[in-house]
Amino acid sequence: MNSNKNKFTLISILLVLGAFILFLLSSFIDQYSIINRIIMFIGLILLMTSWGIYFMGLKQIKPQITENVITVIACKNCDYREERPFIEGDYVLKELGSCKKCSGISYIHAIYLVPVKK
Amino acid sequence: MIINQLFPSGNDIPSTLINLVWLILFFSIILFFNQRIQIWMYQRNAEKATMKLQLLAEKSKEETLKNIQNFALENIDIKSQITSFLEFFTIEPVDKDPFGVLNRLEHILDSRRERIKLFISQIAPKAGKVEAANIEDIMEAAIALNFIFKIVRHFLLLGKKTKSLMIFIQLDMQLPLIMKIAEAYYKALKTFSSGKPIGDGLGPLVASRLMFGSPKQVIAEDIVCSEVNIENRKVYVIKAEGPGGVVGKPGEAVKRLVESFEGKVARIFMIDAASKLEGETTGEVVEGVGAAIGDPGPEKYKIEEVATKYKIPLDAIICKMDIEEALTTMKKEIAEAADLIVNKIKKAIIERTKEGDIVIVAGIGNTIGIAQ
Repeated sequence: MNSNKNKFTLISILLVLGAFILFLLSSFIDQYSIINRIIMFIGLILLMTSWGIYFMGLKQIKPQITENVITVIACKNCDYREERPFIEGDYVLKELGSCKKCSGISYIHAIYLVPVKK
Repeated sequence: MIINQLFPSGNDIPSTLINLVWLILFFSIILFFNQRIQIWMYQRNAEKATMKLQLLAEKSKEETLKNIQNFALENIDIKSQITSFLEFFTIEPVDKDPFGVLNRLEHILDSRRERIKLFISQIAPKAGKVEAANIEDIMEAAIALNFIFKIVRHFLLLGKKTKSLMIFIQLDMQLPLIMKIAEAYYKALKTFSSGKPIGDGLGPLVASRLMFGSPKQVIAEDIVCSEVNIENRKVYVIKAEGPGGVVGKPGEAVKRLVESFEGKVARIFMIDAASKLEGETTGEVVEGVGAAIGDPGPEKYKIEEVATKYKIPLDAIICKMDIEEALTTMKKEIAEAADLIVNKIKKAIIERTKEGDIVIVAGIGNTIGIAQ
């Protein structure tokens, strides 16, 4: 995202430089001549385009964040711990039957969100 | 050629006149249309925000409808009932005479809660206790979103009607915060409908960790209490009764507990989620003193009053998070902070009380997705 923003900034700087060179060039040409005006007009368009590109770059596209909700399962007797995606109906301290490691009761120890940027 | 005619550069009178016309036109625009241009710009921003808010309000209504439909009777039209209930309002008590204002506020809040519960029981009779509590939270979020949309639209239309730049400037300046709150409510609504724990559930999560495996009993409206022994101290842990989305009356519970021991309580610890300042880290745990509870007033007042009456020190432990984090699915940092707070409380109880003392630990917050 940052590289995109930098690209936009670089292009707009180059366009401003181009406009500056054109304005400089026009100062060497007779100011009442039509060529001078055309050069000035092109310079102006370059300036406007550079502003447009710069502001477009400032409009940051928000990264899509998907919800990755984890349910942590633990056992009342042993140190068994398991993580799995959240299933509707899960809640903290919900008993889930017997533990996979021992005969103790497993329960939901925590439910939390781990954001994943896309 | 056209450019030459429009912007003549000669020294003759017609060229000078045309240039003068351009100059007058330019200054006229600046002088007479300056404010109009500004109004147009602010109005455009406000219109965009209002459209977004309208979309959020409509989506929240649909989401509410979708959730309630699962527990509604088939032959009842719930759409019109929900639409009209979204306009539900609460009038705050008069505070010109502040005497007893918190009792009156509590009464009004109780009435509000009772009306919402009654409405839910009528439109979603198949919903159990947990589902009904979650629907209550969904309704509250939808009502809030509808209210925000209507307020912003009101000021937009008022600004258009009066062509007042001041109204537009004030609206535009507040829009970033308003949008942030509205988006947080919308995301909260989605979390409530799936029954996941929210950031504000940190207090109940800490309490549930402390009371894990001990018998519980209901001691106040939607509040459970459990007696735990920590290093020979009698610790009474209270939290809202989950896993439905309720907050309960922790103030009433603390008051009843203290009164039942005739004030012989060594310390009251309160754990709550607190709004963080920009630059602060989510999940940061900070200690302080005072009643850590973000209710409209009555519950906090009860705790402060009873603590003052019996000179019981009030310790507060808070976990920092922003409004969106408090209302949406609990982040990993916040869940991890709960374990840290449990250790801090145990340490504080040992350091600040002596053996045989009675201590109260209150986990404040919405207990959605957290049982006991």
